[in-house]
Amino acid sequence: MKKKVAVLSRCIFLLLILLALPVFTGAVTKKEVLTWDEAVKAARGQTVDWYMWGGSPAVNQYVNGYLATELKKEYGITLRQVPVKDIAEVVGKLVVEKQAGKDSSGSVDLMWINGENFRTCKEHKLLHGPFADKLPNQQYVDWSNLTVKNDFGTPVDGMESPWGSAQVVMIYDSARTPQPPRSVSAFIEWIKTNPGRFTYPAPPDFTGSVFVRQIFYHATGSVDGSVNTWQGDYPEPEFKKAADATYAILGELKQSLWRNGETYPESPVRMNTLFADGEIDFSFSYHQGEASRNILDGIFPETVRTFVFDEGTITNTHFVAIPYNAKDKAAAMVVANFLLSPEAQLKKAMPDVWGDFSALSPAKLPAPWQEKFKTLPRGTATLGDAELQAHQLPEPPSKILVELEKGWVEHVLKNR
Amino acid sequence: MTGYKSSVPPPGGTGRKTSSWRLLFLLGPALCIIILLFGGGLVLGLLQALGHLPSQNLAAIGLQHFINVLQDPDFGKSLLLTLYISSTSTLIAAAVSVVLALVLMRWAADSRTISFLLQIPLTVPHLVIAVSVILLLSPAGLFSRLFSTLSIIPASSTFPLLVNDSWGIGILTVYIWKEIPFITFMLLSVLKNMGTELLEAGSTLNASKFQRFSCITLPIIAPSLGSACLIVFAFTFGAFEVPYLLGRTYPLVLPVWAYKNYSDIDLLARPEGIAIGLIIAVIVTLSIIFSQLMLHFGRRRGLTI
Repeated sequence: MKKKVAVLSRCIFLLLILLALPVFTGAVTKKEVLTWDEAVKAARGQTVDWYMWGGSPAVNQYVNGYLATELKKEYGITLRQVPVKDIAEVVGKLVVEKQAGKDSSGSVDLMWINGENFRTCKEHKLLHGPFADKLPNQQYVDWSNLTVKNDFGTPVDGMESPWGSAQVVMIYDSARTPQPPRSVSAFIEWIKTNPGRFTYPAPPDFTGSVFVRQIFYHATGSVDGSVNTWQGDYPEPEFKKAADATYAILGELKQSLWRNGETYPESPVRMNTLFADGEIDFSFSYHQGEASRNILDGIFPETVRTFVFDEGTITNTHFVAIPYNAKDKAAAMVVANFLLSPEAQLKKAMPDVWGDFSALSPAKLPAPWQEKFKTLPRGTATLGDAELQAHQLPEPPSKILVELEKGWVEHVLKNR
Repeated sequence: MTGYKSSVPPPGGTGRKTSSWRLLFLLGPALCIIILLFGGGLVLGLLQALGHLPSQNLAAIGLQHFINVLQDPDFGKSLLLTLYISSTSTLIAAAVSVVLALVLMRWAADSRTISFLLQIPLTVPHLVIAVSVILLLSPAGLFSRLFSTLSIIPASSTFPLLVNDSWGIGILTVYIWKEIPFITFMLLSVLKNMGTELLEAGSTLNASKFQRFSCITLPIIAPSLGSACLIVFAFTFGAFEVPYLLGRTYPLVLPVWAYKNYSDIDLLARPEGIAIGLIIAVIVTLSIIFSQLMLHFGRRRGLTI
């Protein structure tokens, strides 16, 4: 009997030590952000649990195939993808963990994030960092570009590291419209002189909504440099004025739209069908390569091309971030750095791998890499990185996005 | 059971009791799941529509979201549009089905091929038909191209608007096409069991064709027809995908409006979406209860089998 008690108490003692272990190690890793050399040293042998949206086979294949193999080979890091339906669930989990005081050994090491979710994380101090400035490969990133510097209006401040970008491109058929209007004002004129030949998906559809924001930038006259007005905190009366001007422009355009603006396509897919059927002369997409893919799929004719407005088109960047309580922060930093490497970005940009656009600025790359990105097979209708990146406008804060969508329904759709 | 008519001797009291206990026991597991998942979802939905958010306490509960919806100037428009679509499609489908059932009864009552053909549309989802209607009837669709190639219409742009139009023709087409086989099927099963004796008696008594239909056939199929119509009405009233694809951007039918609110980026619009959903559910439930009452009424009169 006594022996049993002794064994039991020893077990409990061991258990207590085991339970306390994370606290000790936590205390060690909890100090300041590691330097790059320390991170590489500490990362060997660690496992990175990367929580990300897992809905695309191409993305999953890139992560679990190429990235996992390279990281293992080069840094001895095991990359484990944890697919989720919506990263907001993970953000919610972090909020709860923060409230419960679970400050170390969290299960999430890295997450794929942007926009509203990043804002929530930053506001609630759920992120580890700033770490992005510690990564050697960030030298290839153009941090002066507002679409990288801010994430939907929220300053990035090194709390997340860019991974890729999506940009609005206008789609037209060069056989039908040899000279498409290149500026927003010329485009609006074109719609008026060619009634019934243009339409956009009804917001709150994501693609339709971005068109309204494009007009919003035009209406405020803020497209030449002062887009800054709408980054971060903005003056409310100014916004009201700009929004009203936007609705006025769109309201006036309504009668010149497809079917006199009495109805709108419900999705970009439907808009693409109308375009392919010759009912309308333009389509647009929030993905730079969609037109080329549609040509390959036989949906669009070979003569389809894309362009960006001289004033620029709206762009957003997607990032990776490290939670404040991540267990393997060092390895997560190494992974974030590898994602930014020219080789990983080039691989990601290949149309048969994923076709996601580079987060790197071509001008900042060494000449051989510039050449490789330039000669990347990208489909006949897709523009080059230099042309695209020279015409980027940042997304406004999501509050503006929501306001504009509601306002559009009220003032443009219902005409109140 | 107060209205029990004893054409058959009623079973003994105790026997009835045990059999209903047994029934409850047998249905229990299935009922539990339905009550838990369906009822639970309904209760949670109701709570959210009443303004209860998990992060807040219950004090915030109120009818505000329902009031917001009912006071919205669009509510009347949406309700009318939804009623128009579901009642028009139900009535047209019912009328066609009655004729079709009678014709089939006459010419092909026992044809397996016919009943097989009738079953095909029943298995095709509404979504598929909706997409087909876009491909066929839209201004750049198959028919428009065919007619302009055959020079029946001067250009494909002069083809009439049948999809996303203000009269909901596209939506009605889908529903009518889908519901005719369903109602016909229900009617055929009644007609088959009716036998020909009553009609023969009618014709010996010199009743005209129309009299035989209105005084014999119609009363017999009426309860089935009524309940089939109400099922169709309830379905088309609450269905989302067809008007979402074939309707106009504005005004919206109630289910699409509910979806728009529920999927809004603004989480505060969600309770209103659920409130609209519940209003739809109330209307649909009422029509189902009404349909069951009619069926019950018919049974008591011994008209249906």
